[in-house]
Amino acid sequence: MITGAPLILYLALGLFMFTTGVVGVIIRRNPIVVFMCIELMLNSVNLTFLAFARYGLWYQGTTDHGDISIMNGPMMIIFVMAVAAAEVAVGLGIIMTIFRLRQDIDVDDMNLLKG
Amino acid sequence: MDTSPFNIIIAVLLLPLVGSFLQVALGGPVIRSLGVVKGRKAMGWLAVLPILAAFIVGVYVTGQLAQTTSRDFSVTYFDWIKVLAIRIPFELKIDTLSMTMVLVITGVGSLIHLYATGYMAEETDYPRFFSYLNLFIACMLILVLGGNLPMTFIGWEGVGLCSYLLIGFWYKDVANSKAANKAFIVNRVGDWGLTLGMFLLAVSLAINYKSLPVKSDRFLSYDVILPNVLQLFTGPHAWMATVAAILLFVGACGKSAQFPLYLWLPDAMAGPTPVSALIHAATMVTAGVYLLNRVHILFLMSPFASGVVCVIGIFTATFAAIIAFAQTDIKKVLAYSTVSQLGYMFVGCGSGAYWTGMFHVVTHAFFKALLFLGAGAVIYAMSHEQDMRRYGNLRKYIPITFGTMFVAWLAIAGIWPLSGSFSKESIISAALGDQLAAFGGSPVSQICGYVALLVALMTAWYMTRLMAMTFWGPERWRELVPEAHGHDHARHDHDVPHSHAGHGEDIHGFFFTDEEMAVRQASEPHEEHHGLTADHQPKEVPPSMWVPLVILAILSAGAGYYLNQNGLFEHWLYPNGLEIKAAGEPAEIVPGTGLTLLTVSTVAAVLGIFFGFLVTLKGGRYASRIGWLKDLAFNQFYYDKTMMDASVKGGGEFGRALWQGFDVGVIDRIVNGVASIAGGFGSLLRKTQTGFVRGYALLMLAGGLGVLCWLGYALYQQGGGR
Repeated sequence: MITGAPLILYLALGLFMFTTGVVGVIIRRNPIVVFMCIELMLNSVNLTFLAFARYGLWYQGTTDHGDISIMNGPMMIIFVMAVAAAEVAVGLGIIMTIFRLRQDIDVDDMNLLKG
Repeated sequence: MDTSPFNIIIAVLLLPLVGSFLQVALGGPVIRSLGVVKGRKAMGWLAVLPILAAFIVGVYVTGQLAQTTSRDFSVTYFDWIKVLAIRIPFELKIDTLSMTMVLVITGVGSLIHLYATGYMAEETDYPRFFSYLNLFIACMLILVLGGNLPMTFIGWEGVGLCSYLLIGFWYKDVANSKAANKAFIVNRVGDWGLTLGMFLLAVSLAINYKSLPVKSDRFLSYDVILPNVLQLFTGPHAWMATVAAILLFVGACGKSAQFPLYLWLPDAMAGPTPVSALIHAATMVTAGVYLLNRVHILFLMSPFASGVVCVIGIFTATFAAIIAFAQTDIKKVLAYSTVSQLGYMFVGCGSGAYWTGMFHVVTHAFFKALLFLGAGAVIYAMSHEQDMRRYGNLRKYIPITFGTMFVAWLAIAGIWPLSGSFSKESIISAALGDQLAAFGGSPVSQICGYVALLVALMTAWYMTRLMAMTFWGPERWRELVPEAHGHDHARHDHDVPHSHAGHGEDIHGFFFTDEEMAVRQASEPHEEHHGLTADHQPKEVPPSMWVPLVILAILSAGAGYYLNQNGLFEHWLYPNGLEIKAAGEPAEIVPGTGLTLLTVSTVAAVLGIFFGFLVTLKGGRYASRIGWLKDLAFNQFYYDKTMMDASVKGGGEFGRALWQGFDVGVIDRIVNGVASIAGGFGSLLRKTQTGFVRGYALLMLAGGLGVLCWLGYALYQQGGGR
């Protein structure tokens, strides 16, 4: 028996966080904030994974191929966090380099890709 | 069919080829180690022996062939080309036609090689010369022995190449290089016809494969083509025989120097004299006649093509004979007489008497090689002077040369019983009695026959002029003023092989600049510095040169009589007669008078000789009156100049017009237009690349949403709209 807030609330919170992140990525010019917004999106995905894992939308139990356990969702979160950490490390490195070169980290000024 | 006695025929091909490689490989070391004189002698023998050995093998194989009944064999060694359904084996055809050619090529060829060892003795590039010469023999043998059209074509191109190499043998003279180029390029025009004819035959056989009477995948072999076209090109398809025959005849015209394409042969006299004798008289130029004999069925099937052959032949014979009257260079007279005699051969072939063409090939090979070699001996004796106006009374100084050339002169003039009279007479009689060659039903070869009689008279006349200027009359070189002598005096620069002035101006800057030319002349002096002077004493040639002359003189005198006995040569070449028609029987030459052809042609020859002596030795006062005609004839009626201007300058103008009009105006515009369209489109798209990172992020979002929406829609559809 599952107690606590219903699944839809978790999903709504995830949606809200994801939207916030997307809007933040698009409208903010500070790369640090952009990064934070990306983290926000990743975390909203993590939350959704966890919620589905907790509420067991999928079949759980033993199959011919082994256990499909309740731990599938949390495992995905570990991967997401690892990738996010790596991404932040690289991203911050890039931001540091750009700052050293240009003394400025405004995203809109980085327009070398302009055709 | 057991072909084992004939397997040895490959030796005929390989011997000259090996000889050629030996010259290349051993020439330098041998001459270095034995010294110049001994080394050249050794290399000379090494050049003569393979050809002689090939001749002996040829005689053996011919003997074997004569003992068989069918006299038509084919030896296949391996598959040369095998593509899809077409197979072209390396097959050698051994029949009377090819063996006749083999004997002429190797026999006359070995004599000329022997002569060349003496004639070229002062030449520094001795091994190079003989390697070309041996290679030429090998190529010519492939041409005549090849059992299919591609093999003949390989030989055909091979002799073209060797001819190019040998004409341009003294390549330091721009004039010689130009003559070589001219020969090569004009020959290409003929090869165009030959290749097209070859493809046409192969394709028409291939697409009619099911209805072929002789089914074989060797579409290009003569023994497959010829019986099949006999069935295929009949009824409504008869015009195909005409097309194929005329295309092949264009090839023959190129190689055998017939009218539209004869230009290269006179210029080819720039090569060393043995080359002129070997290539431009005895063998290579007869390739066209050989080809006509080989595919004669096609011509028999097409009266129109035969008519074309006849008319081109007789026109060339007449045209070249007129030009020969005005030439002053001894080799040029002989060159035009070669063109003229080749015209005769084509008249014979066009009249459907193919054996007469071959007969004249054989006898002409003897006496024309002899004339050329004799001319070479005269040139040798006269310090490489080729202008007949400097000769005179040479019979006292070089009696052997005179005696042999005397025989050749009477032979080509057609005096009975020397060989030329038989072959020429057989051609004329064939033309007079022929009904095959016709344009739209009206026969043409009778007229050709009568014109040929006239040309016989002209031949005797201009050959007498040559002999009289050379061997009779005053010793004109005695009148040379010391400072006036010079190679460039009274000559056209491109007429003069191997002379100092003959370097000529290189107007197109194609070969060397003036500075380079000067450096070359300074650093590499010519071997022959001696010019003809007034106190020159002509001396007889060495034995290596006069022995071939004597042998050829004997052949020139006797071969015609021997081969004509009881139609020996005709029955040897065509033992079963022709496939379609028998050669016509000559009637009385002028109906009702009882004059036979023999009488009339002998009278023509004697008249020609009489006029020749009369005009050349006594007729000085008429010279000024016909000067204009002489100029015209000397300049080949400006045909050569017109053709060269039209093709070289006109071709250049055409090319320039194409470049500036079509290439720049059309092609470049198309290419640049396509590029600018792409560029304009690109610069439109470029505007979307703002460099504005957040904009890209928004686009990614839109794209992601789009994909999601599409996925959702697809799932909705999958779920049956629920």
